[in-house]
Order: sequence, then C-alpha cells, then structure tokens
Amino acid sequence: MPTMLSVENLSISFRTDEGVITPVQGVTFAVEAGRTLGLVGESGSGKSISTKALMQLLPGTAMLGENTRMTYTDKGGKDIALGHLKHGSRELRRIRGGEIGMIFQEPMASFSPVYTIGNQMMEAIMLHRGLKKREAREFAVEMLDKVGISNAAARIDQYPHELSGGMRQRAMIALTLSAGPALLIADEPTTALDVTIQAQVLDLMRDLQRELGMGMIFITHDLGVIAQIADDVAVMYLGTIVERGPAREVIRNPQHPYTQGLLDAIPSVEHLHDRLKPVPGDIPSPTNRPTGCPFHTRCAQAIPGICDAQEPVETTPMPGRAVRCWLHSDKDRSAA
Amino acid sequence: MGDTILLRFTLERFVGMVITMALVSVMVFLIMELPPGDYADRYAFRKYSGTGVNVTEADIEAIRRDLGLDKPMVLRYFDWIGGIVLHWDFGQAFAFETSVTKVIGDKVWLTAGILFATLLLTYIVSIPIGIFAAVRRGSAVDYGLTVFSYLGLALPNFLLALVMLYFANRWFGADIGGLFSAQYRDAPWSAAKVWDMMKHLWLPAVVLAWSAVAYQIQTVRATMSDELNKLSVTAARARGVPETKLLIKYPARLAINPVVSTIGFDVNRIFSELPIVAVVLGLTELGELLLKAYLDLDMNVAGAILLMLTFAIVFMNFFSDLLLAWLDPRIKLGA
Repeated sequence: MPTMLSVENLSISFRTDEGVITPVQGVTFAVEAGRTLGLVGESGSGKSISTKALMQLLPGTAMLGENTRMTYTDKGGKDIALGHLKHGSRELRRIRGGEIGMIFQEPMASFSPVYTIGNQMMEAIMLHRGLKKREAREFAVEMLDKVGISNAAARIDQYPHELSGGMRQRAMIALTLSAGPALLIADEPTTALDVTIQAQVLDLMRDLQRELGMGMIFITHDLGVIAQIADDVAVMYLGTIVERGPAREVIRNPQHPYTQGLLDAIPSVEHLHDRLKPVPGDIPSPTNRPTGCPFHTRCAQAIPGICDAQEPVETTPMPGRAVRCWLHSDKDRSAA
Repeated sequence: MGDTILLRFTLERFVGMVITMALVSVMVFLIMELPPGDYADRYAFRKYSGTGVNVTEADIEAIRRDLGLDKPMVLRYFDWIGGIVLHWDFGQAFAFETSVTKVIGDKVWLTAGILFATLLLTYIVSIPIGIFAAVRRGSAVDYGLTVFSYLGLALPNFLLALVMLYFANRWFGADIGGLFSAQYRDAPWSAAKVWDMMKHLWLPAVVLAWSAVAYQIQTVRATMSDELNKLSVTAARARGVPETKLLIKYPARLAINPVVSTIGFDVNRIFSELPIVAVVLGLTELGELLLKAYLDLDMNVAGAILLMLTFAIVFMNFFSDLLLAWLDPRIKLGA
C-alpha cells in the first residue's frame, strides 16, 4: 500500500506567559492508504494537537519545529506540504474536509446546535462535491442511511439535540465522510459513548473504511479499542512516540514499560478478582518536562544515572518494531 | 412539525404579552389615582383660581358628576382603557384644556423615531465591532476598543450631549438642536420635513446609543470569544468552511443572543435617559412631556405617556423573544 501521509520530526511549541513549551517533540509516523494507524496515550500526551497540526487548526501561538516535514499525497497523486499552507487559501480549504476529514470526541459539541443535521451536511457536500442544493440533500440522506440512521429522510431536518448520543456520532461520521475525504482522523470518536454503542460505531467505522478505501488515524487512550480497529499503533507519551509497530504484535508483546503499563490497566474477564493495575504517578506537565527519558519518573525499571540523564533514541528490537527505551539500547548506549 | 412549534411558541408569547399589557394598564391607572385630590378638584382650582369666585363643595361635586368621576374606580378604569383601545382616546388633558391625544400628537412618532434610530445605531455599531474585537483578541485594535468602551460607560450622557451639541454647532451650523430646522418646525409633514428630521435625528441617537454601544461591544466580544472556542467552530473549520462565512454562520449567530435578549432593557434605558437628553438637546418628545405632566399633576397625560412607554417595552420584549427563538431553535423546545 502506498504511503499517503508521512510525518517526520513533528515538533509543536507554544508561546505562553511562562515561556515556550513544546508538547510535541520529534514525532514521526506514516499512514498507508486503506490502513488504520492508532495513536495511543494518556490525556496531554500530544495525540490531538499532532493531528490538529496536520489540518493547521492550532491557535496562532503554536509554532512548528524547523525540521518538521508533513507530506500528504492527495487523491490526484500530488504531494502537498502540510503545515505551511496559506490561511484562507483554496488549497487549505480543499485539504480540510475534502482530503482529510476529522471526527471529534463530543458528537454533541461538534455539531452547531442551531442548524439542522441536514443544513450542516449539505454545507460540506456543496463545498467539496460541487453539488446543487437539491442533489446535496439527496446525497446527505443517502449518507445518513449508509451510517445506519433509520428514517434518514426525516432525521435530516432534525437538530442535533433531538438525536441520541450514538445517533449523533453516526450523523457526524456521515457528515465527515460526505465531503469524500481520503484520510480520516478520528479523535476519540467513541470515548463519550456507551460501551455497546461504542462497539457498533467502531464496526461501522471499520466497514466504511474498507468500503471507501480510506486511510485512518484513530486517536484513543484505550489499547482495547486499538486491538479492534487499528492495523498499526504508535504509543505516545509526553509528546514523543515511545513505541510503534503492527497493532497485534505491540499488544501481544509490548516492549516499552509504558505500553506494558497501559496493557496492565485494561480490565479483563479472566482476572476480574484482581484489582486493576494503573500506571503509577501522573503525566508530568509539559512546562516541567523531566530530563532524560520522559517516562523515567513513573518507570519501575528505570536505570538510575542513565534514564534520568539522557534521552533514549529509537531502536529496532525486532523487524517492523521500534521502541524508544534504554532497556533496549544496550548497544547504542555506549555509542550515545 | 417545526412550523407548528414555532406557531405555538409565537401564540404563547403573544398571549403573555397581552396579559402583561393588561396588568401594566391597571398599574398605570393606579398610579394616576395616587396623587391627593382628583381631577375635579384640580379642574376647579385651575378654572377659578385667581378669578375671585368662591368654589363650593357642591360645585366640585357637579364637575365630578359631569366628568363621570363619581363612578366606582373599576368602572372608571374600564371607561379609560376602553376609550384608549376603541377610539385611541386618552381622555382630557386639563392643563392644556384639550384632549390628551392632541397634546401627545406627533410626539409619539418622534419618540418612536428616536427610539428606533438609537436601537439601530447601537446594534449596527456594536455587533460588528464586538465580533471583530473577539476575532482579533489581544491585538492593539482590541485594546483600543476596550478603552473606548470604558470611556463610553463612564461618561454621563447629558454631558456627552452638551459636548456634542457644542461641536455639532461649530461644524454643522447653529441649527442642530431640536428635531427640526426653524422653517419645518410647524410645517405639515412632507418628504423635505422627514429629510430635515433625519439630519437632526443622528445627534440624539448618537448620544443615547453611546453607553449602550460601549456596553454591547463588551457583551458581544465576551460571548463571541466563548463561541470561537467551541468545538463546533473547530469542526466546521476542519470541514473547510471559508473563514468569513464560518464566523457569521456559527459563532456570531449565537454571540448576538445576549444582545437580542436585552432589547427590552435597552428600550427601557433609552426611555429613562431620553428626558434629560431631550432637555439638553431641546427635543420635544414624550419623555420631556412626561416630566412636565408630572410637574403639573396632569395625570391623564402622564398616564397616557407611561402606558405608551411601557407598552413599547413590553412589545419589544415580545419581539426579542421571537428573534431569539429564530436565532436559537433550542429555545422553542423549552417553551
């Protein structure tokens, strides 16, 4: 499969009153057409802002690093350098929605409450598909039908508050996909839903992705969800990717202590009598980033004098896998 | 389905408005009854004071009977309100020895003109500026507008009226006070007279709108800043909606909610400030007449004016409710 999105060395800094903070540092990942990359991490690990940077949705105080390269290959095969498109330009507006679609965590909040579902869908369809109002309406009904909303012809004239949470997220998926994106960024799309609804929505997204051949970036804090939907996974901690590889292999055989911790924190039916094991400690504030490996303050296996002193480099413990941890860098440590 | 909800909402609010107006009319009537003595006393006093005629209790009783003032209060209320509703007849203005309708005359429409000019000016200026300040939050323009706002809020408007009168006089000639130039003051209505009025109307409108503009800029700026941070705005931006269209369609529509919901307050405030501004600018409108009516204890005139002003406020509240329901469809559901 061809790579449709390649992100290299993504660093994002913000000017704040307390000085410059850099919540994302040197993040590298790629998305292949038709495949799903899962971005996993706790809140504040930089997952969301990394994807917002792709769409240039960050506030004006944000700055991209000098070595940051984000290349997106559009539906016509043209390479586009993301992150530096002119604000208000036609190209940027085409990328937003038409090439890369985005779904957010709160379906209620991502719809405007004062326009009907249909109004907001038709706006996107007319913008990106060049359809007239009536055709756009027909297309919107078709899309609502496709995401499993019954009686779509009537639902289209309803306001977001008249739909249930699960229906709203289905409608948001329909809205985002109706613009015809080749890459879908889903930012915790199921976190705010009931578990049963969550499973239905995940199935729906998987099916639609296969049918439309889209690439997908799926952001979540839940490795269990990753197991269901992602082909590849990148685990983020405090703005860097600490481990990446094929989703099944990473889950079956995690290499980074943080990934192991996240997996231990998932409840399982076999071990119901055990207490859940949370990852100890809190994620440090980006204004107060630890020296050395960012995870050493919470890591049970941290090596004193090394992990707290030097930042580990990315190594390849086995083919197709990458991990950023001193436990796997015996050979590199002497070189560093 | 949506249409029937809207219709029911409108009907409910309309009925609410009519009930409020009825209650207001009762209150106004009671206020008219408050001053000691009654119309007959004062009528007799005015008619015969200084003439040397000795007025007896029987004379006053005769006047009272003549004017129907001996009837019970409830009946008199219905006579009064019935005359207004059925014949636009507000009774006698004894201080002027003519009907209230004649005394008030054109002043109703002039007052309405000042009111609408002021409201229009307030919203046309404050809404776009508030939105602009929110979009450019933290910029030099934003800070400049904030300073202007505080200045606007701090400056009493009779003082502003004096200052503006002075400068308007220097720049636009001597004839800027009042609502008409001398040659039109008593002329019948014509296109030229309307135009002449327009040329005078801006000054009281600016003076009266001044503090409201300052206040509403801050309101719009604050709500617009909130709305700009909403996920729905980011989501719309992520769908490639062009920025100007996006700002107007999504955050701005909701940001003007607090402005729309306070139209009634603005009307109220304009009416309270109008008499003082009117005195300074030499306008002849209802507020100024109201002050005079109070001084003369001419309660029929005062009552008529009070009734009109409060009806205007109640009606504008009704209008603001409808506008809000149109702006935010969630409101209809809560009705």
